[in-house]
Amino acid sequence: MNPNEVEVLLVEDNPNDAELAIRALSKRNLANRLHHVKDGAEAIEFLFGTGKYAGRNVGNGPAVVLLDLKLPKVDGLEVLKRIKADERTKRTPVVVLTSSKEERDVIDSYRLGVNSYVVKPVDFEKFAEAVSSLGLYWLLLNHPPEVRR
Amino acid sequence: MHRVMIVDDSLTVRMDLQAAFAAAGFEAELCENADRYREALSKGPFALVVLDLLLPDADGLDLLKEIKSNPRSASVPVMLLSTEAEVRNRVKGLKTGADEYIGKPYDAAYVVARAKEIVRRASAASAESAPTILVVDDSPTFRESLKSALEAAGYRVVVAESGEEGLHKAADERPSAMIVDGVLPGIDGSTVIRRMREDVALRRVPCLLLTASEERSGEVSALRAGADAYVRKEERIEVILARLAAVLRSAKTPAALGQTSGLLGPKRILAVDDSPTYLHQLSDELREEGYEVIQARSGEEALELLAVQAVDCILLDLLMPGMSGQETCRQIKSRPERRDIPLIMLTALDERDAMLEGIRLGADDYITKSGDFEVLRARLGAQLRRKQFEDENRRIREELLRKELVEAEARVSKQLAETRAELLAELEKKNKELEAFSYSVSHDLRAPLRAIDGFCQVLEEESAPRLDDEGKRHLRVVRENARRMGELIDDLLAFSRMGRQAMQPTRIDMEKLATDVFEALRSESPGRAIRFQVEKLPPAQADLPMMRQVLINLLSNSIKYTAPRATAEIAMKAKETAEETVYSIRDNGVGFDMQYSHKLFGVFQRLHSNDEFAGTGVGLAIVHRIIERHGGRVWAEGKPDRGAVFYFALKREPA
Repeated sequence: MNPNEVEVLLVEDNPNDAELAIRALSKRNLANRLHHVKDGAEAIEFLFGTGKYAGRNVGNGPAVVLLDLKLPKVDGLEVLKRIKADERTKRTPVVVLTSSKEERDVIDSYRLGVNSYVVKPVDFEKFAEAVSSLGLYWLLLNHPPEVRR
Repeated sequence: MHRVMIVDDSLTVRMDLQAAFAAAGFEAELCENADRYREALSKGPFALVVLDLLLPDADGLDLLKEIKSNPRSASVPVMLLSTEAEVRNRVKGLKTGADEYIGKPYDAAYVVARAKEIVRRASAASAESAPTILVVDDSPTFRESLKSALEAAGYRVVVAESGEEGLHKAADERPSAMIVDGVLPGIDGSTVIRRMREDVALRRVPCLLLTASEERSGEVSALRAGADAYVRKEERIEVILARLAAVLRSAKTPAALGQTSGLLGPKRILAVDDSPTYLHQLSDELREEGYEVIQARSGEEALELLAVQAVDCILLDLLMPGMSGQETCRQIKSRPERRDIPLIMLTALDERDAMLEGIRLGADDYITKSGDFEVLRARLGAQLRRKQFEDENRRIREELLRKELVEAEARVSKQLAETRAELLAELEKKNKELEAFSYSVSHDLRAPLRAIDGFCQVLEEESAPRLDDEGKRHLRVVRENARRMGELIDDLLAFSRMGRQAMQPTRIDMEKLATDVFEALRSESPGRAIRFQVEKLPPAQADLPMMRQVLINLLSNSIKYTAPRATAEIAMKAKETAEETVYSIRDNGVGFDMQYSHKLFGVFQRLHSNDEFAGTGVGLAIVHRIIERHGGRVWAEGKPDRGAVFYFALKREPA
């Protein structure tokens, strides 16, 4: 997929969790514009068009980031800080994937402007609810048939 | 200048003593009877009372009791003055609280010398300590007024606002006495005293408990806690001071008994002989030398006197009717505190064997009775000197020993405090570690569970046509167990959170909270007939989210365990006692057997199988932890199939 056409960036290191999330979204044809990265460092490269993603247009999405917190290399909190600190990305909605309500309290205490939360496992209903609450209804509509990664 | 009160009906005695005291630098106040004494007392403090036992308007012993029970004079030493007819009177006087007893006819110089010594000792006793008083009270107003009153009375004062602080200060300051309020935030006064009694170093500190209660139960609980005295808080501060003085004095008495006078001070001789003639002759001879002589006519009398008064030397006749000289000697020497009093046997020439027997029994010397007192005086002087040197040596030894002991004690208590602090820090660290551990365990356990459940679901959805019914059932069992494990983890998380979460106590309308919680729970169990009654509930001072959790857990339990009933009856009430508010939730559910009640509040402890009633066994453990963190108590009563009552008690706020 062209990195400039990505609508959903999934940042998740656990392959099982990632597979279940992608599966849940692809059933509704939502995974075709989804890009999956497996650690925080890669997420940052993607978001800021550096390293492997050099040349990607930073102003061009993604529409939403699904961000796990426990990540190898650079952890989710750090990624979140970088997104919210940069003028070019700070308006990108971030949905944090958590293991429990507990984690929510921890993140909220950092006041990092998380836009929404989804308690894992990510299924379609939870995802739909989260993006709807962000005003991103269009993400749920008008999608061409799925292309499985 | 010291003021001396002289209470005697004889003008001669009054004038004589006034002159003698004045020459020694005392100011004497003369009273011919008890009434005049009372009048003089109101004029101000004095250092000593010389009291005649026979007064025109009162019995001297009664007046002595009055002096000793009046807070203004209780600590003033009293010298009794009376005709030396009966040893019994002397014993009675000393037992009533007199500090000295001098027989008439007296020697004025001796009386003054004795008086000087008593006054010196009394003021030394109060100066040496300049006693430190520890005041533990949470009311700043009362604390300050008591402090200034105590300081005005010459005490050094240390204050603490809570029982915990009080115990720390007691360990640091080693006060001479402690005054503690019965009602305190945190641990209460009785507990403070109990802890003091458990501490080897503080065990002997006299404790005065202040109670608010009118009733005698206050006294009982104070004494049970080990208090030496108790005072109602409404009493005037003078009463507290008087009780304190009394407590301090009685704490000191055991050491004072048996104390001998200084090297040059007047000496007291006990002469025991059945012949009054010889006794008088002897007394006259020795008085001329400046000794005070107590006359006892039998061994029994001598022993009775020695029980209440220390003497410097004993002269004992060998041959007496009743208790023999040998037996008297044996009994005197059998008590450690009297063993060192020099004892000189008085023998007739032909009593050689008896005399030897006496010496074997512990007599220090013997003298043949005769009209010539020259030898007796010399021997007596020698014995007194020997005793004096021994005393001095012993005093030095004891002083060294005491110093060593104090140093050792200080070392030990310092070590103890250090160890305690280390343990505390260690414990805190362990607790933190444990909490972090339980959090991350709970957290990391979820990832594999999600995978188990998620992929079971995928299997169900995508491979259903290839699975037979048994295979589908197996899948359901796997998913069901994954779900249950998820619940256990959730509850474990919630439990560990309760230990860490900061508390923000606010005033909570318990009635409203209970009703809100119940209505929310009721909507989760549609189709159940539940009657819920809430009586008027006093507000609680507690952390709101935590208290909500307590009610959620208790009420949802009540709802759960009343499921078999056609109509569930749940009632919440409260009862207020002086110190706490006890809330209770009663239901008509399946109840429990009291023999397992100790298991109710443990983590993962359940009294029902999961088939009967679903649950993880964490709800009540959370309740327990929350209430415990609020300094309250929680317990339950029940009977199988007859319902259960859960109670939790929270400390009431001081009004």
